[in-house]
Amino acid sequence: MSALDGFLAAREIWQAPLFASLLAGALLGFLGVYVVLRRTVFVSAALTQVSTVGLVVGLFIEEQFHLEAEHAHHQLGMAMGFAVVGALLLGALRPRRLPAEAGVGAAWVIASAAVVLGISRLVHASHDLGGMVFGNAVAVPDDELWMIGAVVLVCAGLHLAFAKEITFASFDPETATALGLKVRLWDAVLSLTIGLAIPASARALGALPVFALLTLPASAALLLGLPLRAAFAVASALGVAAAAGGYLASWFAETPTGATMVLVAALALLPGALRQVRR
Amino acid sequence: MSAPAATPLVALRGATIGHGRRALLSGVELAVVPGDFLALVGPNGGGKTTLLRTLLGALPLLKGRRELPRPLRIGYVPQRDHVDAIWPLTAGEVVLMGRTPVLGPLRRPGPADHRLVGEALARVGSGELASRRYADLSGGQRQRTLIARALAAEPELLAVDEPTSGMDPAAELSTMDVLQGLHAGGALAVVMVSHRLDAVANAAGRLAFVDQERALFRVGPLDEMLQPGPLSALYGRAVEVRSEGGRRTVQTVPGVRR
Repeated sequence: MSALDGFLAAREIWQAPLFASLLAGALLGFLGVYVVLRRTVFVSAALTQVSTVGLVVGLFIEEQFHLEAEHAHHQLGMAMGFAVVGALLLGALRPRRLPAEAGVGAAWVIASAAVVLGISRLVHASHDLGGMVFGNAVAVPDDELWMIGAVVLVCAGLHLAFAKEITFASFDPETATALGLKVRLWDAVLSLTIGLAIPASARALGALPVFALLTLPASAALLLGLPLRAAFAVASALGVAAAAGGYLASWFAETPTGATMVLVAALALLPGALRQVRR
Repeated sequence: MSAPAATPLVALRGATIGHGRRALLSGVELAVVPGDFLALVGPNGGGKTTLLRTLLGALPLLKGRRELPRPLRIGYVPQRDHVDAIWPLTAGEVVLMGRTPVLGPLRRPGPADHRLVGEALARVGSGELASRRYADLSGGQRQRTLIARALAAEPELLAVDEPTSGMDPAAELSTMDVLQGLHAGGALAVVMVSHRLDAVANAAGRLAFVDQERALFRVGPLDEMLQPGPLSALYGRAVEVRSEGGRRTVQTVPGVRR
């Protein structure tokens, strides 16, 4: 049996993870355009860590109270709650005497330390967290796949309905405020979608590929010099291609899925980088 | 004179302005009427932009009240370098953003909005820029694009923050010509922040001196305010006002402090 035959025969194994990867790639690629243009790349890194704190807290509660080990939707709910609150706080808190990066850095390092401490207190579940943080996309239960699908629908609906407000508030918040737009509301809507997308994707793919899919496809699309609307579409398509390509490459090369996705996503930067060199 | 007699578009009464809990200026009485051209002048960091943004309702008052007799359509032109040119938007797309508050949520721009964008760009003499990238425009072209965006909101009040900052003399004159032309065209009220007295000396109808360091707020007609005495009090040094060829110039006298 050839490798391809083996792959096709194992459809039940890869079907859900691959589909979850495609959905996450499309969503994260799209949101990444805002993340990159708003110069908040490291906000997404901090939020990924904050959502991991939610996972750790969920696992810790399960262990402490002797709940059943597999409560994927409870863990995901905790991660989403932490990420959404973290996103809203990072969006709202702008200390006047510190650059914004200081708050983001503090959130990242505090969350990272909390994850390490939390893992040290976990007895059984610390092994599972390795996959969640570094990514495996090997096993995605149906309810998790449905959750990712629901998050994609909610995010797509919000961005379709309020694209012009979110874009204006992101591009020129000063003028938007002066013209009476509720900039904090539209920032919060964007933060909410990012706060939902990160943990939903990270639970399936892992934190590393989520951070990569939020930054690399969007950066690749913007390096190509595309207009904004095209950049959204191309970043989404590149996110899908990186997720699918990375998953398939890792299957056949038998390499770690998350890291392979990151490297495949990085390949998307090459055309734009070459274009910059030629100019 | 603190306010003209006509019904104001917007007014501050007994206002204390500032950021957070920090008061910058107290006792501000300021009204803007249709057709006004009011320039807020004073040293850097004097509180001009804070006053403008408070007048527009973008910053809350610390004390006093803001009167808005009826809903007011505002056009706002921020300082040019406050707009991030990294966004891959055309000048036309930037101008179209001016329609966002008019349309409200859930409504997409239609042909009428796109027509208004073309007209707004034409009014500032930049009709040919619609499809050009905002990032690729010169400073003067970006400024005209931002003015066009403000016009796309069909404003009754055009608020402009330091429109000539960092411009060469030709671009500065061109921008001021655009603003004067827009003001001359009808009942549009213009409120402009500038630390360049020369820029406003030939355009404004009224001047307001704003300097939080000296707790100074004073507003009056241009001819009354554009005098060596009041200007010297504002800038803390001797100031000369000259009229040459129908244009006023304002210069500080080197070495003479007041």
